[in-house]
Amino acid sequence: MTAPRLPVAALALLLAAFPSRAATAQAAPPAKLAASIRRLFGPGARVDTLRVDSAAVLRLSRGDSLLGFAEVGNVIGKDQPITFLVAVDPADRLKDVDILVYREPYGGEVAYEPWRRQFRGKTAADPIAVGRDIRSISGATISVQAVTAGVRRILADLTAWHQRGAIR
Amino acid sequence: MVPRRLSLIVVCLPAFLAAQERTTVGGYGEIHYTNRSGPNSPGQVNLTRFVLYLAHTFDDRLAFRSELEVEDAKLESGEPGGEVALEQAYLDYRLSEYLTLRSGLVLPPVGIINETHEPPTFNGVDRPAFDRDVIPTTWREIGVGAVGSVPAVAGLGYRLYLVNGLKAEGFSAEQGIREGRQEGKEASFANPSLTGRLEWARPGLKVGGSFWYGGTANQDSVLGKGTFAAPVTLVSADARYEVGGIMFRGVVARISVSDAQAIDARYGGTVGSRIAGGYVEAAYNLLRPLAPASSQRLYAFVRHERYDTQASVPVGIAKNDSLARRITTIGLSYKPTYNTVFKGDYQLLRNKARVGEAEVLSLGLGYQF
Repeated sequence: MTAPRLPVAALALLLAAFPSRAATAQAAPPAKLAASIRRLFGPGARVDTLRVDSAAVLRLSRGDSLLGFAEVGNVIGKDQPITFLVAVDPADRLKDVDILVYREPYGGEVAYEPWRRQFRGKTAADPIAVGRDIRSISGATISVQAVTAGVRRILADLTAWHQRGAIR
Repeated sequence: MVPRRLSLIVVCLPAFLAAQERTTVGGYGEIHYTNRSGPNSPGQVNLTRFVLYLAHTFDDRLAFRSELEVEDAKLESGEPGGEVALEQAYLDYRLSEYLTLRSGLVLPPVGIINETHEPPTFNGVDRPAFDRDVIPTTWREIGVGAVGSVPAVAGLGYRLYLVNGLKAEGFSAEQGIREGRQEGKEASFANPSLTGRLEWARPGLKVGGSFWYGGTANQDSVLGKGTFAAPVTLVSADARYEVGGIMFRGVVARISVSDAQAIDARYGGTVGSRIAGGYVEAAYNLLRPLAPASSQRLYAFVRHERYDTQASVPVGIAKNDSLARRITTIGLSYKPTYNTVFKGDYQLLRNKARVGEAEVLSLGLGYQF
């Protein structure tokens, strides 16, 4: 009975691809989002979409075990939205940040793995601030500041929701 | 049940995925106080730059971006100073992260300041003098090109443009190729020129290499009719590094004006055949030990520039040692936010001939958004 599961996963991804926080909402391409989820949580993870406040949170599981949560966010760089994914493990530690769509001519360095890697293992108790525990990239300051603030906000939300049982 | 919901979503999808057209306004600017003459005489205040950034996104691929600048607050006929100019105006067509096609008035991607010139991004009230006399910022020309990241090499980006060339007629001994720029104003396309850059980024680190190559003769009967007649070759390397509250940056450049002799003969100048130099700068965020939790910054910095616009001169031209400049700047940059800054610095303007040396006190504020 794997056949019905696929459409469900696809549906969940499609829903989550239209993120929350509508002011700057930009769609994430479903294929890109699916690839990111697969990379972070392994192939065949079950994806459910949970609605919390106005946000869409992806719940990732395999069998009875929770793999973690993820949320798509948007921040404005110089003039375009930057669409990114924040994934956490069941202990509310940040697994990784993925840049799903970068639309600006400068500052694309935030998508580079060596920069994103700095977020791994962070918790809501960490400062997650440029110049403190996150290093900047010259010439990409605006995007670095925007994405860092966006990751900090989403990690704080996911952690708070998880701890009060709004997502589980 | 699921298929029905899915199909509903699929029907809605195109509307959701259609890119939103949007117009963005931004800007940057700086106001300076300069005292070149010591405490016994008045200084000067100037609204050095006021720049409006205007961009429009047409769809997922196509965007327009521009910067319109007013220099020195106003411009009045018959009075010196003041300028209204477009610094950038181009269309970007994004094919992928590896390739965006760009056409219009673009910034040659040379050095650090030419592309990243917003006042909160650099220390010192004025841009480094090197970025005026050697790399002629803000350098902009009209052309077409490509920008993107290099596939399979994390952190490596490129830009490559074909733009209108420089005009040798404007070259000078003091400011090298600076007044050879055409800046998008009825520019001659007699000498299409190539310019480009490779840069590599890591957290805290960026290193880059840039070049410009092109003729400058503008079909002058003496200098030559060819596309690459009276060529100028510029190569430059730069690095920026940040670690634990310390910032370093440095740029070097070398410009060869291989037909300087003919250019000097034609226009009666004393343009160097080689223009070369660079600077190094170190800065430390004093708030890091004092207020580690603060997002504000207070940088103390020192910069040393050495450059010579007559590093070599053609046969028959006497070298002017006052053009071998040595400029030391020490100062503070206070940044309440990453995109606002209050600056102060003291400059020692020296040269090899020890002629016309000066000390300059400057204060300034800058912003970008």
